[in-house]
Amino acid sequence: MVISKEDLMKSERQAAMVFDLNKCIGCQTCSVACKVLWTREDGMDYQWWCTVNTQPGRGAPKDWEQMGGGYRDGVPNPGIIPTREECGGGWDFNYDEVFYGGKGRSVHLHPIGEAPTWGPNWDEDQGGGEYPNSFFFYLPRLCNHCTRPVCVEACPRNAMYKRNEDGVVLRDETRCRGYRFCLEACPYKKIYFNYAKKISQHCIFCFPRIEKGVAPACARQCPGRLVFVGFLDDVDGPIHKLVREWEVAIPLHPEYGTGPNVFYIPPLAPYRLNEDGSIDETTPRIPTEYLEKLFGPRVNKALDTLKAEMAKTKNGGKSDLMNMLIVYHWHELFGPFTKDPAELTWK
Amino acid sequence: MEAKKVTAEAKVLLDPAASEWGQVAAETISMGGTPVAQQPSRYIRTSWSDRPIGNVRSLTVRSAHNSKEVFFLLEWSDPTKNDGYVGRDFPDGAGILFPLKGDAPLQSMGRQSQAVNAWFWRADFEDGAKNVTASGIGTVEETEKSAVAARGQWQDGTWRVVFARPLAVAEQKEQAVQLEAGQSVKVAFAIWEGSSGERAGIKSFSKTWRELTLEG
Ligand code: SF4
Ligand code: SF4
Repeated sequence: MVISKEDLMKSERQAAMVFDLNKCIGCQTCSVACKVLWTREDGMDYQWWCTVNTQPGRGAPKDWEQMGGGYRDGVPNPGIIPTREECGGGWDFNYDEVFYGGKGRSVHLHPIGEAPTWGPNWDEDQGGGEYPNSFFFYLPRLCNHCTRPVCVEACPRNAMYKRNEDGVVLRDETRCRGYRFCLEACPYKKIYFNYAKKISQHCIFCFPRIEKGVAPACARQCPGRLVFVGFLDDVDGPIHKLVREWEVAIPLHPEYGTGPNVFYIPPLAPYRLNEDGSIDETTPRIPTEYLEKLFGPRVNKALDTLKAEMAKTKNGGKSDLMNMLIVYHWHELFGPFTKDPAELTWK
Repeated sequence: MEAKKVTAEAKVLLDPAASEWGQVAAETISMGGTPVAQQPSRYIRTSWSDRPIGNVRSLTVRSAHNSKEVFFLLEWSDPTKNDGYVGRDFPDGAGILFPLKGDAPLQSMGRQSQAVNAWFWRADFEDGAKNVTASGIGTVEETEKSAVAARGQWQDGTWRVVFARPLAVAEQKEQAVQLEAGQSVKVAFAIWEGSSGERAGIKSFSKTWRELTLEG
Protein backbone atom coordinates (compact mmCIF):
# COMPACT_ATOMS: atom_id res chain seq x y z
CA MET A 1 0.00 0.00 0.00
CA VAL A 2 1.34 3.41 -0.92
CA ILE A 3 0.82 5.98 1.81
CA SER A 4 0.54 9.57 0.64
CA LYS A 5 1.76 12.55 2.61
CA GLU A 6 -1.75 13.94 2.26
CA ASP A 7 -3.10 10.97 4.20
CA LEU A 8 -0.46 11.35 6.87
CA MET A 9 -1.11 15.08 7.24
CA LYS A 10 -4.88 15.14 7.52
CA SER A 11 -7.04 14.84 10.60
CA GLU A 12 -10.72 15.03 11.32
CA ARG A 13 -10.40 17.23 14.39
CA GLN A 14 -7.70 19.45 15.78
CA ALA A 15 -6.70 19.83 19.39
CA ALA A 16 -5.18 23.22 20.11
CA MET A 17 -3.81 25.46 22.84
CA VAL A 18 -3.95 29.16 23.58
CA PHE A 19 -1.31 30.79 25.80
CA ASP A 20 -2.28 34.16 27.25
CA LEU A 21 1.08 35.94 27.24
CA ASN A 22 -0.25 38.72 29.43
CA LYS A 23 -0.35 36.30 32.32
CA CYS A 24 2.84 34.33 31.87
CA ILE A 25 5.29 34.93 34.72
CA GLY A 26 8.14 32.93 33.21
CA CYS A 27 8.24 30.48 36.09
CA GLN A 28 9.16 27.51 33.86
CA THR A 29 6.70 25.23 35.66
CA CYS A 30 5.38 24.15 32.25
CA SER A 31 8.90 23.31 31.04
CA VAL A 32 9.64 21.33 34.17
CA ALA A 33 6.24 19.58 34.24
CA CYS A 34 6.98 18.32 30.74
CA LYS A 35 10.58 17.46 31.55
CA VAL A 36 9.61 15.38 34.55
CA LEU A 37 6.90 13.57 32.67
CA TRP A 38 8.48 12.84 29.31
CA THR A 39 12.16 13.57 28.88
CA ARG A 40 14.02 11.84 31.65
CA GLU A 41 15.28 8.83 29.74
CA ASP A 42 18.69 8.24 28.23
CA GLY A 43 19.54 10.63 25.43
CA MET A 44 16.84 13.09 26.48
CA ASP A 45 18.79 15.09 29.06
CA TYR A 46 19.08 18.15 26.84
CA GLN A 47 15.54 17.89 25.44
CA TRP A 48 13.01 20.49 26.56
CA TRP A 49 9.84 19.89 24.59
CA CYS A 50 8.40 22.99 26.27
CA THR A 51 10.63 26.03 26.66
CA VAL A 52 9.93 29.53 27.92
CA ASN A 53 12.09 32.34 26.63
CA THR A 54 12.33 36.03 27.30
CA GLN A 55 11.46 38.12 24.28
CA PRO A 56 13.24 39.82 22.67
CA GLY A 57 15.97 37.23 22.88
CA ARG A 58 17.80 34.59 20.94
CA GLY A 59 15.44 31.89 22.09
CA ALA A 60 15.77 28.13 22.31
CA PRO A 61 17.48 26.65 20.42
CA LYS A 62 19.80 29.63 20.09
CA ASP A 63 18.79 31.84 17.14
CA TRP A 64 16.16 29.34 16.01
CA GLU A 65 14.38 31.98 13.94
CA GLN A 66 17.38 32.06 11.62
CA MET A 67 17.40 28.31 11.01
CA GLY A 68 15.00 28.11 8.09
CA GLY A 69 12.46 25.39 7.43
CA GLY A 70 8.71 25.74 6.99
CA TYR A 71 7.09 26.58 3.68
CA ARG A 72 7.66 29.44 1.32
CA ASP A 73 4.84 29.92 -1.20
CA GLY A 74 3.70 26.41 -0.41
CA VAL A 75 7.10 24.88 -1.14
CA PRO A 76 9.14 23.30 1.67
CA ASN A 77 11.95 25.64 2.61
CA PRO A 78 15.44 24.31 3.42
CA GLY A 79 16.43 24.48 7.06
CA ILE A 80 19.25 23.46 9.32
CA ILE A 81 19.49 21.01 12.19
CA PRO A 82 19.76 22.60 15.63
CA THR A 83 22.67 21.09 17.52
CA ARG A 84 22.76 19.84 21.06
CA GLU A 85 24.86 22.87 22.04
CA GLU A 86 22.42 25.30 20.47
CA CYS A 87 19.66 23.67 22.51
CA GLY A 88 21.67 24.44 25.64
CA GLY A 89 23.43 21.12 26.06
CA GLY A 90 22.03 19.48 29.14
CA TRP A 91 24.04 19.97 32.26
CA ASP A 92 24.94 17.46 34.91
CA PHE A 93 25.21 18.90 38.39
CA ASN A 94 27.40 17.78 41.31
CA TYR A 95 24.39 16.66 43.35
CA ASP A 96 26.24 13.69 44.84
CA GLU A 97 29.04 15.85 46.14
CA VAL A 98 26.84 18.53 47.63
CA PHE A 99 23.99 16.45 49.00
CA TYR A 100 25.61 13.15 49.88
CA GLY A 101 29.35 13.73 49.88
CA GLY A 102 29.51 15.64 53.15
CA LYS A 103 30.64 18.81 51.39
CA GLY A 104 27.38 20.67 51.60
CA ARG A 105 29.03 23.56 53.40
CA SER A 106 32.18 23.87 51.33
CA VAL A 107 31.10 23.14 47.77
CA HIS A 108 28.33 24.87 45.90
CA LEU A 109 26.07 23.33 43.32
CA HIS A 110 27.48 23.76 39.81
CA PRO A 111 27.43 22.04 36.45
CA ILE A 112 30.07 19.34 36.11
CA GLY A 113 32.73 19.79 33.46
CA GLU A 114 33.37 22.81 31.29
CA ALA A 115 31.36 25.87 32.22
CA PRO A 116 28.33 26.02 29.92
CA THR A 117 28.10 28.92 27.49
CA TRP A 118 24.46 28.48 26.55
CA GLY A 119 21.28 27.11 28.05
CA PRO A 120 17.63 26.84 27.10
CA ASN A 121 16.81 30.11 28.87
CA TRP A 122 20.26 31.66 28.85
CA ASP A 123 19.20 35.22 28.09
CA GLU A 124 16.34 35.19 30.59
CA ASP A 125 14.99 38.58 31.62
CA GLN A 126 17.41 40.56 29.46
CA GLY A 127 14.75 41.70 27.02
CA GLY A 128 15.04 44.88 24.99
CA GLY A 129 14.72 48.66 25.09
CA GLU A 130 16.48 51.22 27.25
CA TYR A 131 15.64 52.22 30.80
CA PRO A 132 13.11 53.53 31.67
CA ASN A 133 11.48 52.07 28.58
CA SER A 134 12.99 48.63 28.74
CA PHE A 135 10.54 45.83 28.07
CA PHE A 136 10.22 42.09 27.86
CA PHE A 137 7.68 39.31 27.96
CA TYR A 138 7.80 35.54 28.18
CA LEU A 139 7.05 33.21 25.32
CA PRO A 140 6.36 29.55 26.11
CA ARG A 141 6.87 27.33 23.09
CA LEU A 142 6.23 23.72 22.21
CA CYS A 143 5.50 21.78 19.04
CA ASN A 144 2.57 23.48 17.33
CA HIS A 145 0.98 20.27 16.03
CA CYS A 146 0.67 22.12 12.77
CA THR A 147 -2.11 21.77 10.22
CA ARG A 148 0.52 21.49 7.46
CA PRO A 149 3.31 19.80 9.43
CA VAL A 150 6.37 20.16 7.26
CA CYS A 151 8.12 17.66 9.53
CA VAL A 152 5.70 15.01 8.30
CA GLU A 153 6.28 16.20 4.75
CA ALA A 154 10.05 15.89 5.17
CA CYS A 155 10.37 12.37 6.55
CA PRO A 156 11.62 9.95 3.88
CA ARG A 157 10.30 7.00 5.90
CA ASN A 158 6.76 8.20 6.50
CA ALA A 159 7.46 7.73 10.18
CA MET A 160 5.55 10.89 11.16
CA TYR A 161 1.83 11.51 10.92
CA LYS A 162 -1.10 13.45 12.31
CA ARG A 163 -3.57 11.50 14.41
CA ASN A 164 -6.95 11.45 12.81
CA GLU A 165 -8.94 12.03 16.01
CA ASP A 166 -7.09 15.11 17.31
CA GLY A 167 -4.44 16.20 14.82
CA VAL A 168 -1.61 15.51 17.27
CA VAL A 169 1.63 15.07 15.32
CA LEU A 170 3.38 11.87 16.29
CA ARG A 171 6.31 9.77 15.18
CA ASP A 172 6.46 6.01 14.94
CA GLU A 173 9.78 5.54 16.71
CA THR A 174 10.18 2.07 15.23
CA ARG A 175 10.17 3.58 11.73
CA CYS A 176 12.37 6.58 12.57
CA ARG A 177 16.01 6.07 11.59
CA GLY A 178 17.32 9.34 12.96
CA TYR A 179 17.83 11.05 9.60
CA ARG A 180 16.83 14.40 11.14
CA PHE A 181 15.15 15.76 8.01
CA CYS A 182 12.25 16.68 10.33
CA LEU A 183 14.63 18.73 12.50
CA GLU A 184 15.72 20.61 9.38
CA ALA A 185 12.21 21.17 8.12
CA CYS A 186 10.46 22.23 11.34
CA PRO A 187 10.66 26.04 11.33
CA TYR A 188 9.96 26.20 15.07
CA LYS A 189 12.95 23.93 15.80
CA LYS A 190 10.94 21.89 18.24
CA ILE A 191 12.28 18.44 17.40
CA TYR A 192 15.20 16.95 19.29
CA PHE A 193 17.61 14.20 18.38
CA ASN A 194 17.99 11.46 20.95
CA TYR A 195 21.71 10.73 21.00
CA ALA A 196 21.28 7.44 22.84
CA LYS A 197 18.45 5.95 20.76
CA LYS A 198 19.55 7.71 17.57
CA ILE A 199 16.05 8.76 16.68
CA SER A 200 14.23 12.09 16.73
CA GLN A 201 11.65 13.03 19.36
CA HIS A 202 9.24 15.87 20.09
CA CYS A 203 6.21 16.97 22.13
CA ILE A 204 3.37 14.45 21.95
CA PHE A 205 0.67 16.82 23.26
CA CYS A 206 0.49 14.45 26.25
CA PHE A 207 -1.69 12.18 24.10
CA PRO A 208 -2.00 9.44 26.73
CA ARG A 209 -3.47 12.09 29.06
CA ILE A 210 -5.83 13.71 26.60
CA GLU A 211 -7.13 10.27 25.62
CA LYS A 212 -8.29 10.01 29.24
CA GLY A 213 -9.67 13.53 29.49
CA VAL A 214 -6.65 15.03 31.27
CA ALA A 215 -5.09 18.27 30.01
CA PRO A 216 -1.43 18.23 28.91
CA ALA A 217 1.01 18.67 31.79
CA CYS A 218 2.29 22.10 30.72
CA ALA A 219 -1.25 23.47 30.70
CA ARG A 220 -2.52 21.82 33.87
CA GLN A 221 0.52 22.65 35.99
CA CYS A 222 0.72 26.30 34.96
CA PRO A 223 0.31 28.42 38.11
CA GLY A 224 -0.58 31.42 35.98
CA ARG A 225 -3.64 29.53 34.75
CA LEU A 226 -3.23 30.86 31.28
CA VAL A 227 -3.09 27.86 28.98
CA PHE A 228 -6.37 26.97 27.29
CA VAL A 229 -6.75 23.52 25.76
CA GLY A 230 -9.52 22.17 23.58
CA PHE A 231 -10.70 21.40 20.10
CA LEU A 232 -10.70 24.12 17.49
CA ASP A 233 -14.10 23.05 16.18
CA ASP A 234 -15.78 23.10 19.59
CA VAL A 235 -17.82 26.27 19.07
CA ASP A 236 -18.69 26.51 22.76
CA GLY A 237 -15.10 26.10 23.93
CA PRO A 238 -12.70 28.94 24.69
CA ILE A 239 -10.25 27.96 21.95
CA HIS A 240 -12.78 28.46 19.19
CA LYS A 241 -13.98 31.68 20.77
CA LEU A 242 -10.52 33.16 21.21
CA VAL A 243 -9.10 32.04 17.88
CA ARG A 244 -12.04 32.18 15.51
CA GLU A 245 -14.61 34.55 17.03
CA TRP A 246 -12.63 37.20 18.88
CA GLU A 247 -9.48 36.62 16.80
CA VAL A 248 -7.34 37.64 19.73
CA ALA A 249 -5.35 34.39 19.77
CA ILE A 250 -2.93 34.21 16.87
CA PRO A 251 -0.12 31.88 15.83
CA LEU A 252 3.58 32.59 16.18
CA HIS A 253 5.30 33.30 12.86
CA PRO A 254 2.34 32.57 10.60
CA GLU A 255 4.61 33.31 7.63
CA TYR A 256 6.35 29.97 8.24
CA GLY A 257 3.34 28.46 6.51
CA THR A 258 2.79 25.36 8.62
CA GLY A 259 -0.48 26.44 10.25
CA PRO A 260 0.37 26.18 13.96
CA ASN A 261 -2.28 25.05 16.42
CA VAL A 262 -0.70 26.69 19.43
CA PHE A 263 -1.98 30.26 19.59
CA TYR A 264 -1.01 33.29 21.67
CA ILE A 265 -2.84 36.22 23.15
CA PRO A 266 -0.23 38.89 22.36
CA PRO A 267 1.24 40.96 25.18
CA LEU A 268 -0.09 44.39 25.94
CA ALA A 269 2.51 46.78 27.26
CA PRO A 270 2.56 49.82 29.46
CA TYR A 271 3.02 53.16 27.74
CA ARG A 272 6.41 54.71 27.22
CA LEU A 273 7.76 57.23 29.64
CA ASN A 274 9.03 60.56 28.41
CA GLU A 275 12.33 61.91 29.62
CA ASP A 276 10.60 64.12 32.15
CA GLY A 277 8.80 61.12 33.58
CA SER A 278 5.43 61.91 32.01
CA ILE A 279 3.54 59.18 30.20
CA ASP A 280 3.46 59.03 26.41
CA GLU A 281 0.06 57.51 25.72
CA THR A 282 0.62 57.34 21.99
CA THR A 283 3.41 54.78 21.93
CA PRO A 284 3.39 51.25 23.34
CA ARG A 285 6.54 50.21 25.08
CA ILE A 286 6.82 46.97 23.09
CA PRO A 287 7.42 48.23 19.55
CA THR A 288 4.60 47.27 17.21
CA GLU A 289 7.09 46.23 14.54
CA TYR A 290 8.59 43.74 16.94
CA LEU A 291 5.23 42.13 17.67
CA GLU A 292 4.40 42.11 13.97
CA LYS A 293 7.66 40.32 13.32
CA LEU A 294 6.65 37.60 15.76
CA PHE A 295 2.92 37.30 15.16
CA GLY A 296 2.31 38.88 11.76
CA PRO A 297 0.05 41.82 10.95
CA ARG A 298 -2.98 40.30 12.71
CA VAL A 299 -1.40 41.20 16.02
CA ASN A 300 -2.65 44.77 15.68
CA LYS A 301 -6.29 43.86 15.47
CA ALA A 302 -5.87 41.42 18.35
CA LEU A 303 -4.31 44.11 20.54
CA ASP A 304 -6.96 46.65 19.57
CA THR A 305 -9.71 44.22 20.54
CA LEU A 306 -8.02 43.48 23.86
CA LYS A 307 -7.63 47.19 24.61
CA ALA A 308 -11.22 47.98 23.68
CA GLU A 309 -12.60 45.17 25.85
CA MET A 310 -10.38 46.21 28.75
CA ALA A 311 -11.63 49.75 28.42
CA LYS A 312 -15.20 48.47 28.54
CA THR A 313 -14.69 46.79 31.90
CA LYS A 314 -12.74 49.76 33.18
CA ASN A 315 -15.77 51.90 32.49
CA GLY A 316 -18.00 49.55 34.43
CA GLY A 317 -19.19 47.58 31.44
CA LYS A 318 -19.13 43.86 30.89
CA SER A 319 -16.84 41.98 28.56
CA ASP A 320 -17.26 38.30 27.76
CA LEU A 321 -13.72 38.30 26.42
CA MET A 322 -12.24 39.67 29.63
CA ASN A 323 -14.28 37.19 31.65
CA MET A 324 -12.91 34.38 29.55
CA LEU A 325 -9.34 35.60 29.92
CA ILE A 326 -9.66 36.14 33.66
CA VAL A 327 -10.60 32.45 34.00
CA TYR A 328 -12.79 32.61 37.08
CA HIS A 329 -12.93 28.85 37.25
CA TRP A 330 -9.75 26.95 36.61
CA HIS A 331 -11.47 24.11 34.74
CA GLU A 332 -12.76 26.53 32.13
CA LEU A 333 -9.28 26.39 30.65
CA PHE A 334 -9.37 22.77 29.73
CA GLY A 335 -12.45 22.16 27.59
CA PRO A 336 -13.06 18.41 27.55
CA PHE A 337 -9.82 17.71 29.43
CA THR A 338 -10.70 18.61 33.01
CA LYS A 339 -10.06 15.27 34.63
CA ASP A 340 -7.62 15.11 37.57
CA PRO A 341 -4.73 12.81 36.64
CA ALA A 342 -4.61 11.59 40.24
CA GLU A 343 -7.98 9.95 39.68
CA LEU A 344 -6.71 7.80 36.86
CA THR A 345 -5.45 4.30 37.16
CA TRP A 346 -2.78 3.42 34.65
CA LYS A 347 -2.42 -0.19 33.72
CA MET B 1 34.63 -8.44 -10.58
CA GLU B 2 35.82 -11.57 -8.90
CA ALA B 3 35.85 -12.78 -5.30
CA LYS B 4 39.18 -14.52 -5.16
CA LYS B 5 39.40 -17.84 -3.41
CA VAL B 6 41.75 -17.63 -0.43
CA THR B 7 42.59 -19.76 2.57
CA ALA B 8 42.77 -17.05 5.23
CA GLU B 9 40.27 -17.18 8.05
CA ALA B 10 37.74 -14.52 8.96
CA LYS B 11 39.66 -13.33 11.99
CA VAL B 12 42.58 -12.45 9.73
CA LEU B 13 40.66 -10.89 6.85
CA LEU B 14 38.39 -8.84 9.09
CA ASP B 15 41.41 -6.67 9.80
CA PRO B 16 41.37 -3.99 7.09
CA ALA B 17 45.17 -3.72 7.38
CA ALA B 18 45.86 -7.49 7.05
CA SER B 19 48.68 -8.23 4.60
CA GLU B 20 46.53 -11.01 3.10
CA TRP B 21 44.46 -8.32 1.42
CA GLY B 22 47.57 -7.40 -0.57
CA GLN B 23 47.15 -10.57 -2.58
CA VAL B 24 43.65 -9.68 -3.68
CA ALA B 25 43.28 -7.58 -6.80
CA ALA B 26 41.56 -4.23 -6.38
CA GLU B 27 38.94 -2.79 -8.63
CA THR B 28 38.21 0.91 -8.73
CA ILE B 29 34.59 1.82 -9.10
CA SER B 30 33.42 5.22 -10.14
CA MET B 31 30.63 6.50 -7.92
CA GLY B 32 27.94 9.10 -8.47
CA GLY B 33 25.35 10.92 -6.38
CA THR B 34 21.82 9.57 -6.19
CA PRO B 35 19.48 11.65 -8.39
CA VAL B 36 17.73 14.36 -6.39
CA ALA B 37 14.48 13.87 -8.30
CA GLN B 38 14.26 10.37 -6.85
CA GLN B 39 14.49 11.43 -3.24
CA PRO B 40 11.42 10.27 -1.41
CA SER B 41 10.11 13.51 0.09
CA ARG B 42 9.33 16.90 -1.38
CA TYR B 43 11.29 18.56 1.40
CA ILE B 44 14.41 16.57 0.53
CA ARG B 45 14.00 17.21 -3.18
CA THR B 46 13.80 20.96 -2.70
CA SER B 47 16.40 21.31 0.02
CA TRP B 48 18.98 19.23 -1.88
CA SER B 49 18.23 20.60 -5.35
CA ASP B 50 21.36 22.75 -5.32
CA ARG B 51 23.51 20.84 -2.88
CA PRO B 52 26.09 18.37 -4.15
CA ILE B 53 25.06 14.77 -3.53
CA GLY B 54 27.60 11.96 -3.54
CA ASN B 55 30.81 13.42 -2.22
CA VAL B 56 32.78 10.21 -2.61
CA ARG B 57 33.45 9.73 -6.32
CA SER B 58 35.73 6.73 -6.32
CA LEU B 59 35.67 3.47 -4.39
CA THR B 60 38.23 0.67 -4.35
CA VAL B 61 36.83 -2.80 -3.76
CA ARG B 62 38.58 -6.08 -3.06
CA SER B 63 36.62 -9.26 -2.67
CA ALA B 64 37.54 -12.75 -1.51
CA HIS B 65 36.00 -15.93 -0.12
CA ASN B 66 37.39 -18.93 1.74
CA SER B 67 34.61 -21.39 0.80
CA LYS B 68 32.83 -20.58 4.07
CA GLU B 69 32.68 -16.80 4.16
CA VAL B 70 32.77 -13.98 1.69
CA PHE B 71 34.73 -10.76 2.33
CA PHE B 72 34.79 -7.29 0.88
CA LEU B 73 37.36 -4.61 1.60
CA LEU B 74 36.04 -1.16 0.69
CA GLU B 75 38.46 1.72 0.56
CA TRP B 76 37.73 5.36 -0.14
CA SER B 77 39.22 8.68 0.64
CA ASP B 78 37.43 10.93 3.12
CA PRO B 79 39.36 13.73 4.79
CA THR B 80 36.87 13.94 7.67
CA LYS B 81 36.31 11.04 10.00
CA ASN B 82 32.71 11.12 11.21
CA ASP B 83 32.01 8.36 13.67
CA GLY B 84 29.08 9.87 15.51
CA TYR B 85 26.40 12.55 15.53
CA VAL B 86 28.43 15.66 16.20
CA GLY B 87 26.91 19.05 15.49
CA ARG B 88 24.97 18.85 12.26
CA ASP B 89 27.10 15.96 10.93
CA PHE B 90 26.18 12.34 10.45
CA PRO B 91 28.34 9.26 10.82
CA ASP B 92 30.04 8.00 7.65
CA GLY B 93 28.70 4.77 6.26
CA ALA B 94 29.01 2.12 3.58
CA GLY B 95 26.67 -0.40 2.07
CA ILE B 96 26.83 -3.42 -0.22
CA LEU B 97 23.70 -4.26 -2.14
CA PHE B 98 22.43 -7.46 -3.76
CA PRO B 99 19.16 -8.13 -5.53
CA LEU B 100 17.10 -10.73 -3.71
CA LYS B 101 15.09 -11.41 -6.82
CA GLY B 102 15.99 -11.23 -10.49
CA ASP B 103 15.86 -7.75 -11.87
CA ALA B 104 15.38 -5.67 -8.74
CA PRO B 105 16.16 -2.09 -9.79
CA LEU B 106 19.18 -0.51 -8.12
CA GLN B 107 18.31 3.20 -8.20
CA SER B 108 15.07 2.72 -6.30
CA MET B 109 16.50 0.16 -3.86
CA GLY B 110 14.32 -2.59 -5.33
CA ARG B 111 10.60 -2.45 -5.78
CA GLN B 112 7.58 -4.24 -4.46
CA SER B 113 7.97 -8.00 -5.03
CA GLN B 114 11.60 -7.41 -6.05
CA ALA B 115 13.44 -6.72 -2.86
CA VAL B 116 17.11 -5.98 -2.39
CA ASN B 117 19.39 -7.03 0.44
CA ALA B 118 21.97 -4.63 1.82
CA TRP B 119 24.78 -4.99 4.27
CA PHE B 120 25.07 -1.71 6.07
CA TRP B 121 28.01 -0.48 8.12
CA ARG B 122 28.08 2.85 9.88
CA ALA B 123 31.05 4.36 11.69
CA ASP B 124 29.10 4.67 14.95
CA PHE B 125 27.99 1.03 15.10
CA GLU B 126 29.53 -0.62 18.12
CA ASP B 127 30.23 -3.80 16.26
CA GLY B 128 29.23 -5.50 13.06
CA ALA B 129 26.88 -4.38 10.40
CA LYS B 130 23.15 -4.49 9.85
CA ASN B 131 21.41 -6.75 7.42
CA VAL B 132 18.60 -4.82 5.77
CA THR B 133 16.07 -5.40 3.05
CA ALA B 134 14.26 -2.83 0.94
CA SER B 135 11.62 -2.92 -1.73
CA GLY B 136 11.63 0.68 -2.85
CA ILE B 137 12.95 4.02 -1.66
CA GLY B 138 12.22 4.74 1.99
CA THR B 139 11.34 1.12 2.81
CA VAL B 140 14.60 -0.08 4.38
CA GLU B 141 13.93 -2.55 7.19
CA GLU B 142 16.55 -4.08 9.42
CA THR B 143 16.22 -7.80 9.91
CA GLU B 144 16.28 -9.00 13.46
CA LYS B 145 19.34 -11.14 12.91
CA SER B 146 22.42 -10.11 11.00
CA ALA B 147 25.13 -12.53 9.95
CA VAL B 148 27.18 -9.64 8.60
CA ALA B 149 30.33 -8.67 10.42
CA ALA B 150 32.21 -5.48 9.63
CA ARG B 151 35.19 -3.56 10.83
CA GLY B 152 36.18 -0.06 9.83
CA GLN B 153 39.41 1.85 10.19
CA TRP B 154 40.08 5.46 9.33
CA GLN B 155 43.64 6.55 8.81
CA ASP B 156 45.20 9.56 7.10
CA GLY B 157 42.08 10.48 5.20
CA THR B 158 41.13 6.97 4.10
CA TRP B 159 38.37 4.69 5.30
CA ARG B 160 39.04 0.97 5.04
CA VAL B 161 36.04 -1.17 5.88
CA VAL B 162 35.84 -4.95 5.74
CA PHE B 163 32.53 -6.76 5.48
CA ALA B 164 32.33 -10.50 6.14
CA ARG B 165 29.45 -12.91 5.97
CA PRO B 166 28.94 -16.67 5.70
CA LEU B 167 28.24 -17.58 2.07
CA ALA B 168 24.97 -19.20 3.05
CA VAL B 169 22.74 -17.88 5.81
CA ALA B 170 20.40 -20.25 7.59
CA GLU B 171 18.35 -17.88 9.70
CA GLN B 172 15.92 -15.46 8.04
CA LYS B 173 16.93 -16.92 4.71
CA GLU B 174 14.50 -14.91 2.66
CA GLN B 175 16.04 -11.67 3.84
CA ALA B 176 19.64 -12.47 3.00
CA VAL B 177 21.29 -13.13 -0.33
CA GLN B 178 22.54 -16.73 -0.56
CA LEU B 179 25.97 -17.20 -2.10
CA GLU B 180 28.12 -20.13 -3.17
CA ALA B 181 31.52 -20.63 -4.74
CA GLY B 182 31.44 -20.67 -8.52
CA GLN B 183 28.31 -18.54 -8.65
CA SER B 184 27.80 -15.08 -10.13
CA VAL B 185 25.67 -12.45 -8.44
CA LYS B 186 24.90 -8.81 -9.01
CA VAL B 187 26.33 -6.36 -6.55
CA ALA B 188 26.37 -2.61 -5.97
CA PHE B 189 27.96 -0.24 -3.45
CA ALA B 190 27.02 2.92 -1.59
CA ILE B 191 28.99 5.40 0.53
CA TRP B 192 27.73 8.12 2.84
CA GLU B 193 29.95 11.10 3.70
CA GLY B 194 28.59 12.28 7.01
CA SER B 195 30.09 15.75 7.25
CA SER B 196 28.29 16.66 4.01
CA GLY B 197 24.98 15.70 5.58
CA GLU B 198 24.81 12.45 3.64
CA ARG B 199 22.39 9.94 5.12
CA ALA B 200 19.38 7.96 3.94
CA GLY B 201 19.02 8.27 0.16
CA ILE B 202 21.56 11.11 0.04
CA LYS B 203 24.72 9.15 -0.81
CA SER B 204 27.04 8.14 -3.59
CA PHE B 205 26.43 4.82 -5.28
CA SER B 206 27.98 2.66 -7.96
CA LYS B 207 25.27 3.60 -10.49
CA THR B 208 24.82 0.12 -12.00
CA TRP B 209 24.79 -3.45 -10.84
CA ARG B 210 28.11 -5.22 -11.35
CA GLU B 211 28.63 -8.91 -11.89
CA LEU B 212 30.54 -10.57 -9.07
CA THR B 213 31.86 -14.08 -9.63
CA LEU B 214 32.91 -16.12 -6.64
CA GLU B 215 35.94 -18.10 -7.79
CA GLY B 216 35.07 -21.85 -7.84
S1 SF4 C 1 5.98 22.66 15.16
FE1 SF4 C 1 7.51 21.62 13.92
S2 SF4 C 1 7.52 19.51 14.74
FE2 SF4 C 1 5.62 20.46 15.43
S3 SF4 C 1 4.10 19.90 13.84
FE3 SF4 C 1 4.89 21.95 13.31
S4 SF4 C 1 6.54 21.48 11.87
FE4 SF4 C 1 6.13 19.57 12.95
S1 SF4 D 1 3.95 27.50 33.76
FE1 SF4 D 1 2.60 29.09 32.95
S2 SF4 D 1 3.30 31.01 33.90
FE2 SF4 D 1 4.93 29.52 34.19
S3 SF4 D 1 6.27 29.84 32.40
FE3 SF4 D 1 4.84 28.21 31.82
S4 SF4 D 1 3.17 29.28 30.78
FE4 SF4 D 1 4.33 30.87 31.91
